[in-house]
Parts: sequence; C-alpha cells; structure tokens
Amino acid sequence: MVDSMPDAPHSIAEFVKGYEEGGTLRGLRCPSCGLVTATWGLACPRCGHHPLEEHELSTKGTVAAFTILTVPGEEFLNDAPYAYVVVEMDGGGSVTGWMPTVRAENEIAIGDRVRFVTGYKPGVQFAKEPNPSGSG
Amino acid sequence: MRETWVVGAAQNRFGRMNETSREAATRVAMEAILQSGLRPQDIGYTFVSNCLGITEHQGHLGPLINSGLGIPHVPSVSVESACSSSSAGLHEAFVHVAGGFADAALVVGVEKLSHVDTLTATSYFTVGADYPFETKNGATFPGLYATLATAYRKRFPTTPEMFGAVAIKNHANGTRNPHAHFQKEISMENYLSSPVVAWPLRLYDCCPFSDGAAAVVVAAKDVVQRPVTEPLVIRASVRSGSVTDMQDRPDLLGLPAARLAAERAFRQAHLEPKDIDFAEVHDCFTIAEVLALEDLGFFPKGTAAPAALEGTTARDGKLPVNASGGLKAKGHPVAATGAAQVVEVFEQMNGLAHGREVPRAQTALTHNIGATGGSCSVHIFSRR
Repeated sequence: MVDSMPDAPHSIAEFVKGYEEGGTLRGLRCPSCGLVTATWGLACPRCGHHPLEEHELSTKGTVAAFTILTVPGEEFLNDAPYAYVVVEMDGGGSVTGWMPTVRAENEIAIGDRVRFVTGYKPGVQFAKEPNPSGSG
Repeated sequence: MRETWVVGAAQNRFGRMNETSREAATRVAMEAILQSGLRPQDIGYTFVSNCLGITEHQGHLGPLINSGLGIPHVPSVSVESACSSSSAGLHEAFVHVAGGFADAALVVGVEKLSHVDTLTATSYFTVGADYPFETKNGATFPGLYATLATAYRKRFPTTPEMFGAVAIKNHANGTRNPHAHFQKEISMENYLSSPVVAWPLRLYDCCPFSDGAAAVVVAAKDVVQRPVTEPLVIRASVRSGSVTDMQDRPDLLGLPAARLAAERAFRQAHLEPKDIDFAEVHDCFTIAEVLALEDLGFFPKGTAAPAALEGTTARDGKLPVNASGGLKAKGHPVAATGAAQVVEVFEQMNGLAHGREVPRAQTALTHNIGATGGSCSVHIFSRR
C-alpha cells in the first residue's frame, strides 16, 4: 500500500513552481511538428504526437493581445486595474499572464516587448521591456 | 439515421428565479412535453444540463426531474459543456433518436445563480476557463474575450459604435421577447458611457448572469403520428472542440471550434450560409457575435463588425441575428442557453414569436459556444 502516487513527470505543479520560484517558463515541445506550448499535456495539441519533450520557453516576447481588467477575478481583487496579456514568446510558444504595473489601455499596445518576471503571487507575470522603436 | 424533429420547446422568463433549478427545470420540461402532444411516458431518455448546481447543493438532477415528471424509470444523464451544455444535450438527444436508441428524448437546461453575490457568481462562471493556466494568471471571462477584441481591433478597422450597435440591436429585440431578462432599449450614449469591465469591453458589451430554464423535446419523425406543432427538422447537429487556452490558439481572430462545427454542419445539412434565414448566435460579449458571424461563414473574415450598425443583422435585415435578444438581452443562464436558442427558433417557426417575427422563418441556425471556445455546437433546423 502506498499513501500517494509518486510525482508524475510534466506535472502542472512543476509549471506553476517555475512561475513562482524558478523564474522559468516551463513548456513542452513536440519533437514531431515542432509546436511549443506552455500548457500542460501529454500529447501535441496540433499533431497528436506523444510524448512531448520538456522545453523552457524564452522569457521575452511580444504582446499579441491584451485587456485592462477593472473588474478582476476573486484572487486578484486588490490588484485591479491590471493588464492581462497574450504574449508570443521569442523562439516559439505563447503565454498568457498579467501585468500589475500596467493600469490603463494607453500604457500598452499590441507589439510591445515584455519580459517574464517572478511575481509576488502565483501566476505568470510580465513587465514591460524598453520599446526598440523608442516610442513606448 | 432517422429523420429527427424538435416537436416541443419551452422556457421560463429569464432573470431571477425564486424557485429552485429542480422546480424550474421540471416545469419547463412538462410544458415542452405537453406542447409537443407527447406524454412524459413517451420520453425514452432525458439529457439534463446544470453547470452550477453545486451552489444549490444539488447534483444528479436528472432522476429528480424525471421523478417529478412521473417517469422515474427513464434514464437520464447530466451533460456539461460550460455555456454550451444544453446544446450538447440536444446533440446527445439527436444521436439517440436519429440512431434509433430512443423514440423521443427530453433536453433540459437550467441555471440559478441569483442567490450568490456577483463576485462568487463571477468565480463560478470562470471555472470554464483553464484554472492553472488562465484564471491563476489573472484572467476573467470578460478579460479573455477582451483579448480577442483587442486582437480583432488591431487587425481590422472597427469603431466602438460597431460593437455598441450589437448591444443596442439585441436589447431592442429583447423588448419584444416576453422571456427576456432585459426588456429595455439602450442608446449609443448609454453604451458609450457604461463602465469598462475589461477594456475595450464595457458593461453593455457583456451578457448578464441570469437564472433560467429551457427544455426541448426531440422525436423521430416516424413515431410522431400527427404533430400538433410545426416541427423543426434537425438538418444538422454538430459538436466540435478546440484547444481551450488563448495561449495555444493558432490565431485570435475567431474561434476554431466554431469554424469547424459550422463547416461540418453545413456539409451535414447540404446547405450553405446563404440558405439560412435567421440565426441565434452566442453573443456572451458583443465581440463574440461579430466573431460568430465570421466563423459561421455569413461574412468574410474581418467584415462582420459593421453588420449591426448597418442593419444587416436587425430583425428585419438581410440576416436577422438574435431576434430573441440573444444572451445579451434575453439573458445567459449558462446551462439553459443552448436549449433556449432552440426555443426561439421553435417560436419563430410556429408563429409564436409575437411582435418579433423575422421576415422569413424556413431555415435557421443556432451557434452555442462553451466557455471561450473549447467547445461549440451548431444546429441547423428547417420547416418540413
């Protein structure tokens, strides 16, 4: 009899630990089609290949979409307003996260450069990078 | 496959229910069965959807409903697919009846959330998103749809008024629907001055939390001797799926599950988008109606945003969309929404949509999204 199952590889807990402590964005890469995903799974959501390889995503990327949340979720009650962003990471894969320092729609734009930072609470957190064009 | 019909469809007034989900669901189910001319004893299977029954300390609702209908021996199963639950139930009913496993089946969807506060309701709604990879990263449902809105607005020319016109149209339609949660018109000024919830989405871009119940009775053509209603022939009943997370979508300019379901549904029905006379689409947010019109093939990519402003999707327009008021005004009791879309089609085709009739009601489409597009149902119905 065992009290609990051993930790499985590729666990969601490992991904989350990376956000909280490690400063790493853990992900998975499909050795067959090359898809990079930051979402946990056992097989490739694009081609179905199994198994996937562990893959660390770049910590820098470009904003593909965003919103400014004025009415937050339960766990972010004291943090609003904040930006919630979809970020295309350099080298592949997209990651969604939040930006506590971006509080209005004129402070962010699609195409802005951002970097993953380790936050003070669980979850993926991003901060703005200097804009290469100097406009932001 | 046997030709399969919708022979009855009923719902209560969406908004706030004083009674429990169990009572409301049983009542609308009885109403739909009696309307169909069948008896409860004719039902061979019951498909019950109730996503958030945990807030009422009640699961396993099916046997309770069946017992209340006097048919405790009839099998039931709960069908959960977030906001597309009862259209998923309809698909299951279709599969059972068309496949010959039941002669008639009952689909019921019900939701009640008015007994919890807004924050709790918001949190329960969000369980349809990816908890560790979206919710824990700060997402809300309006927030996730808002990211689709910013991506769309960046790629295609739009104005806030185009989205406002969707809300104004659906509110205007809701004033003519006695089932609707909201029965008041709103103006562009109301829209533009409503508070921002998740930029660029304002309060009037968002559907409400509603209580409500809806039921649909499905039967095989060959077992309905003399239909007492104008039956809806189910020409297509299609479900599809997609990666749930925004971070895994190939693009953010539509919902892949909806595109897939639409493509398959039109193929199954041997019809094209131009053959559809009116549609009920999943407008949980105004951007969702715009994306739906494109995903379903009614408009080329990037061109649906002006449709409401130009009147194309008005009740008397070329393609009436959400003549019921849609989720926006009729309301969105999560698990009841898919069945309620069919109620609108049924009422339009049976001459029961008094004061909100669409000009031509021969062939209709319903489009029902689960959460942010992880699942989708598309149904196509025609008169005989």
